[in-house]
Amino acid sequence: MTEKTTGGGGKYDWFWFLLPALILVVIFFFLPIIITFFISGTNMSTATGFQNWKWIGLKNYQRISSHPETLEHLWLTVKYVAFTLVFFNLGMSLVIALLTTHISRGVGFLFRAVWLLPRITPVVVYVMMWRFIAADAPYGILNQIIIKPLGLKTANWLPMAPFLFIVLVNGFIGASFGMILFSSAIESIPKDLMMASLVDGSSYLQRIRYLIIPHLRWPLLFVTTFQTLSLMTSFEQILVLTDGAYNTEVWALWAYHKALSTYSGNLQWGFGTALAAILVTIGIVMAVIYMRYFKFEELVQEPKIETQ
Amino acid sequence: MRFKIFFSRFVPYLLLIVVTLPIIIGYVWILISTFSTRTYGLLPVDKAGRPGGWTLSNWSFLSKPEIWMVTSNTFILASGLTIGVVVVSMMAGYALSRIKFPGRKAFLSLTLILHAFPTVTLLIAIYFVLRWISVIPVLGRGLPIIGGFGYNTLGGVILVSLALQLPLGIWLMKGFFDNVSWDMERAALIDGCSRFRTWREVMVPQIRPGIAALSIFSFIQGWGSFIIPYSYMVNANRATIATYLNNLLSETAPTNYSMVAAVGLFQLLPVLVFYIFTQKYLLSIFAGGVKGAA
Amino acid sequence: MKVDIVNLTKKFGGIIAVDSINLDIKDGEFVAFLGPSGCGKTTTLLMIAGIYKPTDGDILFDGKRVNNFPPKDRDIGMVFQSYALYPHMSVFQNLTYPLLIKKRPREEMKKEAQRVADMMGIGHLLKRRPGQLSGGQQQRVALGRALIKKPRLLLFDEPLSNLDARLRISMRGEIKKLQKDLGITSIYVTHDQIEALTMADRIAVIKDGVLQAYTDPEDLHDRPKTLFIAEFIGNPPMNLFDVEIKSEAGRVYANLGNGARLAIPESRKLKKLVEGKVKMGIRPQDIHAGSEDGISTEIALVEPMGRDDLIVSKVGNAEVHFLVDPIMKLRMGDRIKLRFDMEKSQFFDIKTELSLLWD
Ligand SMILES: Nc1ncnc2c1ncn2[C@@H]1O[C@H](COP(=O)(O)OP(=O)(O)O)[C@@H](O)[C@H]1O
Ligand SMILES: [Mg+2]
Repeated sequence: MTEKTTGGGGKYDWFWFLLPALILVVIFFFLPIIITFFISGTNMSTATGFQNWKWIGLKNYQRISSHPETLEHLWLTVKYVAFTLVFFNLGMSLVIALLTTHISRGVGFLFRAVWLLPRITPVVVYVMMWRFIAADAPYGILNQIIIKPLGLKTANWLPMAPFLFIVLVNGFIGASFGMILFSSAIESIPKDLMMASLVDGSSYLQRIRYLIIPHLRWPLLFVTTFQTLSLMTSFEQILVLTDGAYNTEVWALWAYHKALSTYSGNLQWGFGTALAAILVTIGIVMAVIYMRYFKFEELVQEPKIETQ
Repeated sequence: MRFKIFFSRFVPYLLLIVVTLPIIIGYVWILISTFSTRTYGLLPVDKAGRPGGWTLSNWSFLSKPEIWMVTSNTFILASGLTIGVVVVSMMAGYALSRIKFPGRKAFLSLTLILHAFPTVTLLIAIYFVLRWISVIPVLGRGLPIIGGFGYNTLGGVILVSLALQLPLGIWLMKGFFDNVSWDMERAALIDGCSRFRTWREVMVPQIRPGIAALSIFSFIQGWGSFIIPYSYMVNANRATIATYLNNLLSETAPTNYSMVAAVGLFQLLPVLVFYIFTQKYLLSIFAGGVKGAA
Repeated sequence: MKVDIVNLTKKFGGIIAVDSINLDIKDGEFVAFLGPSGCGKTTTLLMIAGIYKPTDGDILFDGKRVNNFPPKDRDIGMVFQSYALYPHMSVFQNLTYPLLIKKRPREEMKKEAQRVADMMGIGHLLKRRPGQLSGGQQQRVALGRALIKKPRLLLFDEPLSNLDARLRISMRGEIKKLQKDLGITSIYVTHDQIEALTMADRIAVIKDGVLQAYTDPEDLHDRPKTLFIAEFIGNPPMNLFDVEIKSEAGRVYANLGNGARLAIPESRKLKKLVEGKVKMGIRPQDIHAGSEDGISTEIALVEPMGRDDLIVSKVGNAEVHFLVDPIMKLRMGDRIKLRFDMEKSQFFDIKTELSLLWD
């Protein structure tokens, strides 16, 4: 394709190389971002159709601020993000990273490989496992191996503890992200530093506190910011697990239901995109901030060929 | 003192086993359940609840035509996504890594911003984009096999999945191209290649591990993807294995989970096989900072 | 092909890598670019190849400005220090790649590959991959690949520096012979002065992107125009002293301090300065030990170098290095007399570091 245009010069080679990506990014990133903000300013819905909608300015945002469910969804989202982040994406991942780097290399690697399974398992299959873990007696695993032996009252645990399960389901996927970053950071701590602290006679806990954690400052910050954003906006697992039932409709799922859920009959595209627009805005702002702070300049080398 | 050594030796293993148990149990359950009439916890039982009840009947779904339709759809989705992501990312990644052009830095930071940006927030708006593409003659919904690129077509689902995966793919390919010897590329140019030919014949063969990694990763993503086909295919239960399975799951009581589990294992198996044999490649992607699914 | 380089300049951001270089290379000539690492040799070569774009100045091939020609239109061959072979292709494919691009018939490719491979002594390796070859064999393949399309200009970027010493010496001779036989204009970049001195017709000495001298090896060795060249060329390096020039009774002397002084012969009459402080240089092989008269000195160190012993001692306030025959069996602490062959001495201005003898 570029053979002809290059001929002697080929000054615009770069353009042809970028073109396919450029087209896709424009159609599926830029255009949707614009559409999101645009439709959020209209009353578009199945009632108005694609023809008879009206421009209503910020009305949808006013409706959000006065909607009786807004606080509920917001509070749930904050709780969900905070719990999953603290206990799994940071807590559990740090624990696994520390443990797997402490034991023999091979076994540590094996455990980390197991922890990556939830991430690569097709989401519906993965959620299915959790559904069966929570299922009612005599089938469910939880009932069968913990509740019953303890003589407690069995139940279907998903409706009983829906919040716990959305945190668990997402947490067991999310933990592997931090686990990988933390364990490679721990393994890159110079051996002689570790040796020195061993010779000093410091305990493993002291070493964690004074040697390892200070080394993990950047990965910790990175995981926190990155995972906050992805937890805040993701809803796929919750959709499959409960579809928002039992008070598990986080903000992103709320937006999705309002705009696209075929069950509710009347799709409120205007209102739904307004809910999404808030997430899109947060996403853009945070993505730009990362780019600023996470050593972008270091990743960019100048091309060492200038011919065109 | 003895006790202390014993303690520090075994406590880490013990802790790890305990926290990892839910995952292990989940996969063990799928395996057992698939070959049992039903299960009480991990225990296979027959209809009357007595231990035993081993059976292959859960796999009878393989004789239904639907499963092969959704499997072929899923395979086309995964392959189309893989080929698309790899080719488009290799081209863009090469330009960003290797060619000097005005605005290169801006393009690079854009890629990184998009990489960090949570793409799921755009699903609603992409619905409208797909409806517009539907209106385009032929391209919209008049193509063989993939149906077209519009709403309610397999091609549309492929295209959306491809686009949303691009920032990761481009960034990854750029990283792999960064590490190829400059002298080799210079030699190709001096030997008489155009930039395009250098890319195709000299550079691309040098990043084969990267291509393998991105291909495997993309295929697994496409194979398991749920939300995009679920959102943009009207008869979602007939779209892909994931949506088919989701439909089964919401219709089935735990009593008959064994049948559903068999479909689940059917979808999981290729992923597991890939994972076991290509871990090295996949890790290079995860280590490169893939976005958390959650 | 004749090559002219006019005011060639290259800036990378703020740093000037190549600073206004002027050179002319005759058809069939073998020119070496010599200078320490980081001085801009590779950058210059890559501009000639068309890989880098000059910030300023022109490159002319046979009088034609080629600044805007892409590498493929320049009719050049290049050999890299890293060999830069294509690891996924066989030796045959590597060798014939330039012909493949030119869409030459398969028969011709086979014939040419065999011809070049035989010339390079790698005829039996055509089926192998570069990864299965030794460094020397890889370098021969790289050389063959550069030669196969019969380029009009050959560029070498430190092609021998990854080889072991023995192989380096034999390859030096082979490349030189090949170049003379084929008569292809060649530019050879190296930081190794022995390579430059033994192979090149003319040597361009570069320092910090600036051309220091452009002349034949003998001239460079015997008549260094700058202090840098004097220090850089020659092995072991030239002795340099801070001396004071004094005229006395119609004769000119260089005072080494502590009473040691040397008479400067008529042939080394300084251009400008007649009296005052200058740098004096004299090569170790031009200082002769064991004569009846001369400057007396005590030996501080003996370094056996094979054919000679390198001796370090003190004259005046300065350290002196010189060569002696190992038969003399000189030991530390021995006292000997030194005769300086002042007909071979060099003088430099301390401030400008330019030669006071040659321009
Ligand atoms: N692509 C580049 N970008 C920035 N600086 C460069 C580049 N190439 C070379 N330089 C700088 O230019 C100077 C000359 O480099 P080079 O020509 O490679 O030296 P030599 O080949 O003589 O060792 C060095 O200071 C080097 O760091
Ligand atoms: Mg160099």
